Amino acid sequence: MSRFWNMLSALLVLSATAALADTEAPVNGAWQNMRGHLYGTRDIGEMGDELMSIEAPASTPDPAATPIVVRFGKDLAGKVKQVRVIIDNNPSPLATTMNLEAGLPVDEIDLRVRIDRFTSVRAIAETRDGHLEMRSAWVNASGGCSAPPSAAQGGTLGEIRFRPSSDESALQISIRHPNNSGFQIDPRSGDPIPPHFISRIRLLANGQTVLDAETGISLSENPTLRIATRGPLPASLTVEATDIPSQALYSATWNGPGSAHP
Amino acid sequence: MYCGQQRRLGWHTALAALAALSCALPAHTAADFPVAEVAPGVFVHLGKPLALEAAGHDDIANLGFIIGSRCVAVIDTGGSVRIGRALRGAIRARTTLPVCYVINTHVHVDHVLGNAAFQAPATRFIGHAQLAAALSQSREFFLKNYAGDLDAPPGPQQIIGPDTMVAIDTDLELDLGARHLHLRAWPKAHTDSDLTVFDDSTATLWTGDLLFVQRTPALDGSIKGWLAALERMSAVPAKHVVPGHGPPSGDLPAALEPQRRYLQALLVGLRQEIADGKPLQAAIREINPEHSGWLLWDETHPRNVARVYQELEWE
Repeated sequence: MSRFWNMLSALLVLSATAALADTEAPVNGAWQNMRGHLYGTRDIGEMGDELMSIEAPASTPDPAATPIVVRFGKDLAGKVKQVRVIIDNNPSPLATTMNLEAGLPVDEIDLRVRIDRFTSVRAIAETRDGHLEMRSAWVNASGGCSAPPSAAQGGTLGEIRFRPSSDESALQISIRHPNNSGFQIDPRSGDPIPPHFISRIRLLANGQTVLDAETGISLSENPTLRIATRGPLPASLTVEATDIPSQALYSATWNGPGSAHP
Repeated sequence: MYCGQQRRLGWHTALAALAALSCALPAHTAADFPVAEVAPGVFVHLGKPLALEAAGHDDIANLGFIIGSRCVAVIDTGGSVRIGRALRGAIRARTTLPVCYVINTHVHVDHVLGNAAFQAPATRFIGHAQLAAALSQSREFFLKNYAGDLDAPPGPQQIIGPDTMVAIDTDLELDLGARHLHLRAWPKAHTDSDLTVFDDSTATLWTGDLLFVQRTPALDGSIKGWLAALERMSAVPAKHVVPGHGPPSGDLPAALEPQRRYLQALLVGLRQEIADGKPLQAAIREINPEHSGWLLWDETHPRNVARVYQELEWE
């Protein structure tokens, strides 16, 4: 009897979830279409926080700059060759495709993204031996893609700042840039502000690429990327960021611990 | 919550009593829109301490009007055309003089969406030099998220911007007959369109949302600008203070102090987080100053942290 009731209540919860999904947000949004295109029918692991986890605020404090943290457990750190971050219900769902080279054992990646409406945010990691893992989180938000510029707008376009953590296991890289999504409104003309964004962020150590990220309009204003590693950070890191539409290349080098600014 | 809360003396007690009364009555009655005369000819309707998503969210800001010998000035119109009409009804219950000015203290939805209730040939709409631009950035957002607070069918023409604007760091004087209002436009602080109103005949200062009392201050402009504005505003020789949210009082520096302390703690705490190389999500977890007592803390404070972090990381 109690088993019957358990099943019944499980069914009720399921149907309630489905009803919510119909009215609030599609269950899988863009992922439904992108999965086949990006990963075919390959198996994707989705269980447990040991291998991998994603942290995102359930209700974002700032839809235009929502912090997303992707962490790899010890079995995955250093073995990941690619990470994609997909924001299902954003106009441009693929926030980044990030390729990691061996030699930089990244175990945490932080991004700040625009979130346009209630959505699933997912990270898919592919290891060097071809294994796929995905974790996702729901984020409630409204208007991150059309939000007006923040109080930190302006400054020197393309200025790059480095901020290491106090234990020097992590480095935050911030690029001064409006990263206009194309969905913001110019208050003077009332017309949309054209898209103007960072399309690629590359990190180099000793002249070798260690991280190469395709980015776009889902990154926040003043795009920020933070990496944490198990091993020591490279003695020096060079950042190159590409501007669209100008194709300008912004570059700066971090000369290791004790040199916060280039 | 100020519902049921009794505080201070004189007209402050009267306001609290009116607020308590409003909580007990059903909607859409005249008594549901109480106004109190905080100084001769200066009338305030107290907004409710509700979240922007809550039912009744169109009535969360303090609104009011000042009656001269020639005409009336309205200061903020509420978060819906319905609330704007209720405010107009409260004015009509007290005077037959025309409304010559509608003043908006800044761009936020809870202060401007009632403007449509006051459209008339002889009524001028007045705001900060940035208000028109700020409204044009917000119109689409308002229509998408607050359509139910406009008359059906909702349309952008109901979101009325200023026809007269006040340049930053300048004053505009309005003559209501037998009393003058001094409007001041501030540099970016709570928002980029903050305007205060000083009534010289009663020394009443309407701060708009440059001052939150009891309700957690919400930052949509600049932390450094806001702290600078508070410093300058504390010198205004006000005998009565009407904040954007929360109960009015008679002591301006004392009314400003809790908010100043909160903003100062944000500034100091986040500068340290940034200097220590802490990421945004860590700062949101760790910066939790003085939360006891502020209303709507969880809805407001984390967003402030995110905003301030982003402002300060480029210092």
